[in-house]
Amino acid sequence: MIEIDRLSKSFATTTGATHQALADISLTVSAGEFVSILGPSGCGKSTLLYIVGGFVPGTGGQVRVNGKPVSGPGPDRGPVFQEFALFPWKTVHGNVMYGLLEQGMPREEAEARVAQLLELVHLKGFEGFYPKELSGGMKQRVAIARTLAYGPQTLLMDEPFGALDAHTRTVLQNELLSIWEQDRKTVLFVTHAVDEAVYLSDRVFVMTGSPGRQKALIDIDLPRPRVRRELLLNRRYQEYVIEIERLMENALK
Amino acid sequence: MKSTTGNWAALPGVPPLLSLLGLMMAWQVASQLAAIEGLPPVTRVLAAVPGIIFQKETLVDVGASLQRMALGFGLALLFAVPLGLVMGRSRAVAGFFNPLLTVIYPVPKAALMPVIMLWAGVGDTSKVLVIFLGVSLPLVYHSYQGARAVDEKLVWSAMAMGTGNIARIFRVVLPSALPEVLLGCRVGLAMALIVMVSSEMIARQSGAGNLLFNSLDMAQYEAVYVMIIVISAVGFVLDFAFEKLRERLTFWSTHRIELAVAES
Repeated sequence: MIEIDRLSKSFATTTGATHQALADISLTVSAGEFVSILGPSGCGKSTLLYIVGGFVPGTGGQVRVNGKPVSGPGPDRGPVFQEFALFPWKTVHGNVMYGLLEQGMPREEAEARVAQLLELVHLKGFEGFYPKELSGGMKQRVAIARTLAYGPQTLLMDEPFGALDAHTRTVLQNELLSIWEQDRKTVLFVTHAVDEAVYLSDRVFVMTGSPGRQKALIDIDLPRPRVRRELLLNRRYQEYVIEIERLMENALK
Repeated sequence: MKSTTGNWAALPGVPPLLSLLGLMMAWQVASQLAAIEGLPPVTRVLAAVPGIIFQKETLVDVGASLQRMALGFGLALLFAVPLGLVMGRSRAVAGFFNPLLTVIYPVPKAALMPVIMLWAGVGDTSKVLVIFLGVSLPLVYHSYQGARAVDEKLVWSAMAMGTGNIARIFRVVLPSALPEVLLGCRVGLAMALIVMVSSEMIARQSGAGNLLFNSLDMAQYEAVYVMIIVISAVGFVLDFAFEKLRERLTFWSTHRIELAVAES
């Protein structure tokens, strides 16, 4: 469970002025819930995620994960970044292995876990490849496998499909959903794509920019498991997309 | 594919050979025109090469030079790379060391030799120390730049997976910065050779630089040029070997960093 309690964040710009990135954000994400944070670029949605991850400190309010105030990164919260953040000097195998060894898993057990994860993300046979030899979609699969491998209860995804082409994005959305439906982790998913947020989420947290504030919090009441083709024809899905798009337009005004 | 005459000139290795040949021809012509003792013709110098380089004295001296160079370079590697990496990750550490380095950087290291000789004598210690200094500066600088450019998300990912502060320097920052660090090593290698020779010219005891100046004192001009050729050849071989090593160590890197000849 993630509890974000009246969180704010401001920092000094290079000119010395104070810029407020986030103002008075409150959001509670239950265990096993999939919540998207949606907003125009520059609204501080990634910053919000980084604060939950413990990578960046907040300046006001508090974030608690499973009751404990966040004071730094930890293996209970696994990040997935837009630009993949793979270790370029390690192979696919080495990347997925890294966190397991850091967590002190015996090598034999870790090997089995890596094989299992690579199978899950359909990258069996690519163990010896280096990141520069992979396509964007494959890199993000490795990154997801690397994060899932060490078993965080919470996934923090920062526009994970934002750098991919439309087709690959769709494929990976489907794969993420089917993985998530198997072992419901808590997911905080930052995106600027309305359809992606509605398709994946239980709830969508819409933000306005400068400073980033809550604009709306919308329950997505659509049946699961979700099937894209059926959903696209679903009236309620369409209404959610239109409603949120309208909110986003207003958010820019 | 068009086959035109002159394609052979585009073969790898041919242009450098041509430039070398050109240099030797220019040398030959110049020495004939100038007709001074200090510029013997290239043919005579080349003929003198085998006789000099297979002398025991030359081998011992050049060997001693290389030993000091290796020691100074190795010490610099152990000191400068960690320092540069930590500077790149900590603003406080960078703030402390940067002014010092900025002051020392432009000073020709050979100019420090007299002072160092006052402390450590004219023996190996002084020479190793001055090589160490000369190599350390570019190495700190490149390691610092490399560590500063490390993708923050890589560091964050490692932190989330439980990599602690010190381990992070070795497991994430060093490999990330490796292409830049190795570039610093390459500059450092050239620096080591330069400082090695100049230190031996100042504190003349043994070594390639000493040999060169002794020959000059005794007006053995062919020997002077032979030593210059030997030193250049050593530099070339070391640089070539290091480039091979660098390619092997950073084959995974997406961008190639090239080094202009003019640097340092």
